[in-house]
Amino acid sequence: MKASEKVSVTTAVNSPVPAPTAEDAQRLAAARGARDEIRQRIGAGVAAAAAVAGATAGTKSRGDFASRRAAAEAYLAARPLGPQPQFAAAPEALVARFVAKAESLASSVARIAQRASAPAAVAAWLQAQGLPLQAVISGELADLDWASAGLSVAARAAADADPVGITGAFCAVAETGTLLLASSPQTPASISLLPETHIALVPESRLLATMEQAFAQVRAVGGGGLPRALNFISGPSRTGDIEQTIVLGAHGPCRVHIILLGDS
Amino acid sequence: MSARQPGAAKHSQAMFFQQRAGDKVRNPVLQQALQKARPLFVGKRAKGVAALAEDGLDGERLRDACAEIRHRALADLDVWLTLFEERALATGAEVLWARDGEEAAALVVALARQHGVRKVVKSKSMLSEEMHLNAALEAAGIQPVETDLGEYIVQLAGETPSHIIAPAVHKTLGEVEALFAENHGRPQKSRNSADIPEMTREARGVLREHFLSAEMGVSGANFLIAESGTAALVTNEGNGRMVTTLPPLHVVVTGIEKVIPTLEDFATLMRMLPRSATGQSISNYVSLLTGTRRSGEHDGPQKTVFILVDNGRADLLGSDYQDMLRCIRCGACMNHCPVYFSLGGHAYGWVYPGPMGSVLTPLYTGIENALDLPQATTGCNQCGSVCPVRIPLPKLMHRLRETQVERGLRPLGEGLAFKAWGWLARQPRLYRLFSRIAARYLGWLSDPAPDGSRGGRRIRIFGLAPGWTVGRDLPVPPGPTFHERYAARKRV
Repeated sequence: MKASEKVSVTTAVNSPVPAPTAEDAQRLAAARGARDEIRQRIGAGVAAAAAVAGATAGTKSRGDFASRRAAAEAYLAARPLGPQPQFAAAPEALVARFVAKAESLASSVARIAQRASAPAAVAAWLQAQGLPLQAVISGELADLDWASAGLSVAARAAADADPVGITGAFCAVAETGTLLLASSPQTPASISLLPETHIALVPESRLLATMEQAFAQVRAVGGGGLPRALNFISGPSRTGDIEQTIVLGAHGPCRVHIILLGDS
Repeated sequence: MSARQPGAAKHSQAMFFQQRAGDKVRNPVLQQALQKARPLFVGKRAKGVAALAEDGLDGERLRDACAEIRHRALADLDVWLTLFEERALATGAEVLWARDGEEAAALVVALARQHGVRKVVKSKSMLSEEMHLNAALEAAGIQPVETDLGEYIVQLAGETPSHIIAPAVHKTLGEVEALFAENHGRPQKSRNSADIPEMTREARGVLREHFLSAEMGVSGANFLIAESGTAALVTNEGNGRMVTTLPPLHVVVTGIEKVIPTLEDFATLMRMLPRSATGQSISNYVSLLTGTRRSGEHDGPQKTVFILVDNGRADLLGSDYQDMLRCIRCGACMNHCPVYFSLGGHAYGWVYPGPMGSVLTPLYTGIENALDLPQATTGCNQCGSVCPVRIPLPKLMHRLRETQVERGLRPLGEGLAFKAWGWLARQPRLYRLFSRIAARYLGWLSDPAPDGSRGGRRIRIFGLAPGWTVGRDLPVPPGPTFHERYAARKRV
């Protein structure tokens, strides 16, 4: 692009909404034709590769589409694991590892004994940070007594102006110190995204060793399908795009505080 | 395979590599930016990969596993794409296919117009660079906004990314400050590295408005997961999450080669992708996006469309270059490449720089349109030795060079010179004589030693091949030839 064609990305667009053209409808319909042509080309390439591999290995052809599809479905059913990390997985060791890894990714972590005291712990942390006692929360946390702790909360999707978002977590992964949040009507994805501060309440019983174990849990509760969004979150958002200097708080939260709950 | 993509070739500047390379070597601002970045990239990856051992993981075994996953997907790509498409459709997403970049861009524009879109927020997608998507949207009166901070800087500058994971690595702090001042309507300030957080915050504010007002989000996908019809997106800034959560329409543009079978395969790849790219054990946000907003949900797109783009990829299946399709776009090959860090990414002239670009550009835009790129290698194999999916990059570049010779694309003089050398090398006595004379001749060419006599160690001007001594000097061969020394030792 020449400098003279440079588009200003900071000025608002005042032009009218571009209207769909007859060509657009045609184009979208024609994508079907492209599909057949591309798939034919892929099929030919796969066959050519199989012929080369077969000639090298001296084996027979890898079979027709139906038999290869059956083999692929068998692979999906078997879901073999890759090389797995080895580390102590007793409950207390998992907690220790999770805390160490999460802190190394610039999250802060606290442990409390009882879920019921989470609002007080949240309020105390927010006050210590000089942050407002006002938050948008996941529906799953609406049963807690936030008002008594002096917090004003609303259970809904987040808006731009919300200073603090408080969520639970589907589970957490000790290998990397990572939270896994699953979207649902009760748990909108925006709460862990738009506010500058994200606080997550995580029962210690939901700590797992690896991402693979988290996927097994997701499948177990989801009845096969996945939620719209599974977000693995590892600390505050960050960027290194100006001179490779790491800055916390790129587009998402600037700080992530994790409170581990002992009793639930 | 190369004649089919006139669209891609049209935008490639790869034929001007030598001229561009010269300009880049002589650009002190660029050289300063590159020299700052290089040790960071190399050091971070080394640390990240070394840390695997703490958990009893063998990095080499993980590379094998990652290569195997990608190979499995490619060996039955037709089957895996069929499964992916069926399952994506079952989640309520739409799946469209595009033969080339131009067709894919036209589909995005058509979707935008059908949904009354005036502004598109984009998260990082190198494929969208292949598509020239921003230009296509602008031509239709639709505003594209790059939201990855590096991509945003590059868009403000009216440039293209110079690195696949650090798009603005060629920009210094001063250049970024000038762009922000001009585009954010404020006076320019004197900046040092302590101001980078404040500048990042400024961009955050500007881009937040765009996230909230755009009617359409465009993202790439690091992987497509066949078992669930899912797009996997790996980001650090959170812009990928914004783009795929806030606008009512989400379009995923991705190459047909990106599919992998299972979530477990994804977990394995995720142990290598961030480590290879930035040395991180995991990226800040790893998002698995399946279908659209569910009944009762309060956020997420109401419509999700996948556009699966070929643009030359299918033709690599079954060819000498199939291994290249394993690429997971981590950038480790360029981060470890002496050629890349001498020139920066723009010298390469098309979308992909570094070793992976030197292979992909000729394959996607035509071998005859990128003759210099596979030659621009020292053969050091640093790229091959760090590639997380074990792509034999030097071998593929070598194969491209062979193809250039087979197709008569090399200069006549080069062929004659190699024929002459080949003949000479088969005449041992003549060869020894020639190398003795050549060594003495080179010594005679050297600049004067401090005492004014002949016998310095460097040659500054080499008349037979002047290009070799432009921008660098040539060492003088140290004394007798190998054969002379060998003969002398045997006598002892």
